[in-house]
Amino acid sequence: MLLAALRDMQWRMRRLVIAVVSTAIIFAMTLVLTGLANGFRVEAQRTVDSMGLDAFVVKAGAAGPFLGATPFAPADLARVAGEPGVVAAAPLATAATTIRDGASRRNATAFGAPEHGPGMPSTSEGRAPSTPEEVAVSSVLGRHVGEDVQVGARTLRIVGIVPNSTALAKMPNIFLTTEGLQQLSYNGQPIITSIGIVGTPKQLPDGYQTIDKAAGVNDLLRPVKVAVGSITIVAVLLWIVAVLIVGSVVYLSALERLRDFAVFKAIGVPARSILAGLALQAVIVALLAAVLGVILAQLLAPLFPMIVVVPAYAYISLPLIAIAIGLLASLAGLRRAVAVDPALAFGGP
Amino acid sequence: MGDLSIKDLVVEYSSGGYALRPINGLNLDVPAGSLVILLGPSGCGKTTLLSCLGGILRPKSGQITFDDLDITALDGSALAKYRRDKVGIVFQAFNLVSSLTALENVMIPMRAAGMSRADSRERAEELLTRVNLEDRLKHRPGDLSGGQQQRVAVARAIALDPPLILADEPTAHLDFIQVEEVLRLIRSLAQGDRVVVVATHDSRILPLADRVVELRPEVATTNRPPETVRLKAGEVLFEQSTMGDLIYVVSEGELDIVRELANGGEELVKIAGPGDYFGEMGVLFHIPRSATVRSRTDATVVGYTAQAFRERLGVSGLGELIEHRELASN
Repeated sequence: MLLAALRDMQWRMRRLVIAVVSTAIIFAMTLVLTGLANGFRVEAQRTVDSMGLDAFVVKAGAAGPFLGATPFAPADLARVAGEPGVVAAAPLATAATTIRDGASRRNATAFGAPEHGPGMPSTSEGRAPSTPEEVAVSSVLGRHVGEDVQVGARTLRIVGIVPNSTALAKMPNIFLTTEGLQQLSYNGQPIITSIGIVGTPKQLPDGYQTIDKAAGVNDLLRPVKVAVGSITIVAVLLWIVAVLIVGSVVYLSALERLRDFAVFKAIGVPARSILAGLALQAVIVALLAAVLGVILAQLLAPLFPMIVVVPAYAYISLPLIAIAIGLLASLAGLRRAVAVDPALAFGGP
Repeated sequence: MGDLSIKDLVVEYSSGGYALRPINGLNLDVPAGSLVILLGPSGCGKTTLLSCLGGILRPKSGQITFDDLDITALDGSALAKYRRDKVGIVFQAFNLVSSLTALENVMIPMRAAGMSRADSRERAEELLTRVNLEDRLKHRPGDLSGGQQQRVAVARAIALDPPLILADEPTAHLDFIQVEEVLRLIRSLAQGDRVVVVATHDSRILPLADRVVELRPEVATTNRPPETVRLKAGEVLFEQSTMGDLIYVVSEGELDIVRELANGGEELVKIAGPGDYFGEMGVLFHIPRSATVRSRTDATVVGYTAQAFRERLGVSGLGELIEHRELASN
């Protein structure tokens, strides 16, 4: 009966193509949305990784080393650096700021770290800032080494370019010395938001806690959590639409073929063979749509002004979910096929 | 071996909540190697009987035995196996799968029976050659004439060489040239031990048959004097789904006219009293009684043939009788 199912698909080719293309667009949008939600994490991860740290030491009770930080004086920096297991420690500071871009301003996230690290990312062009008046900026700003840039109320000299460094939905990152950031955001007060460390401290002074890199990434992601949740909801809705499209195509096909099924049953074809044919149709529609969806997603992703990184698991799970969707969607059609009375084959046309 | 035997077959189904018995106590014995024609008008139960023979419809009671196999006792997969291995069906509307070629349509039962693709293709080609369609193998049903489609359907029916072939109105949608081809083909199927059962309302094809079974035998229509019938309370005058040739007029007492329901109950249609008449539609149109009549009290009724009743009613045309005109008092 698989032959009959395949021939039926050829017979109804136009409808099949419409179903495959519609479902593929849905799958592509789902992939892009999944990539979008994943993009937030990827850019946060890249930023944290670029700092070359193993963990962050923050005040006990603080939510994180960056946006959820509780600023504190670096009085205990030397004690932390001297703890067993700590290879290196650096005073770090983070603050939201703005950069003048022509007549307008755009938001940016500023990080302060010692010139030679740890905590200072490597540059693709130029060097790391060494004085409070210098800054290394993300390449997404499109600026060049040697230019001046107005950051907040200060004018700084660009000395380095950090490749594709962004956070919070493609917002550019800029890197200053720790003193530079304190002058920019804390009115010159010697305040930091965390102590970046290399190594694993065996213990910490009272009133401090360690935050690992994963928690650091989550801290950077916190402001976009609601957006990620919303995108995920839309993605789930799209999956449901895909189920409905595949399901309606298979159901309509089953309705139109009830007489064929009745004939099959009347001539002794087991019901399970008929069902296998219908399920095969659904799975083929879903799989073809998945393949086309992956191709479409590659074309759609660059159109988005944000980072779209479709995770590998999405590509692997898409065909699997597509098969599950196909089978689920064909349930209604299967029920009709099982219930068909072979006596329907008798009688006039 | 290969004999077909039907004993006391009763088929009942529900129509609008009423119990209908298109087949009511049928007995039939068909020896192997015969071609039987089931003859009768629409609705007389021809297709119903074919469905029972094909293991598609379960009768209410009775027994169908074919090739020493009690079909009415089969269930589930045994029934599907019986349909596949023992029965070939030629449907009235051809019922070919429109997306498949002639060759693929014939291959279906063989593939379902587990035959390899190559073997089933070879056998399908042989069969289509046998029905003179060797140059139409790759054509879809829509590109074939009615007669060609019917020949493909016949080839499909005999694909697994079943000992029982059922054909439902095989000539219904064919012109006379196509009918000729199909009749020859069907006649040729009744060879060896094979039994071929053809249901039709077309009496022109009767010469084809070794045996003709009239599913609704004509009841005697000769005019005869009125019959007086005396009934005790509770006695049944006639039953729903039976044939009869008398129209009854109530002389004394009361009778219940009831319809049997599919759920086993009854619905009172009317209480007939003196001067009322009933049973005219079945007699006039040669259709089964649509209700059961049972006396409510001790009663006397007079049965008239259609002609005698018309004279008694004093009408000239059928119209007034069909409209159930009041009976003139004597």
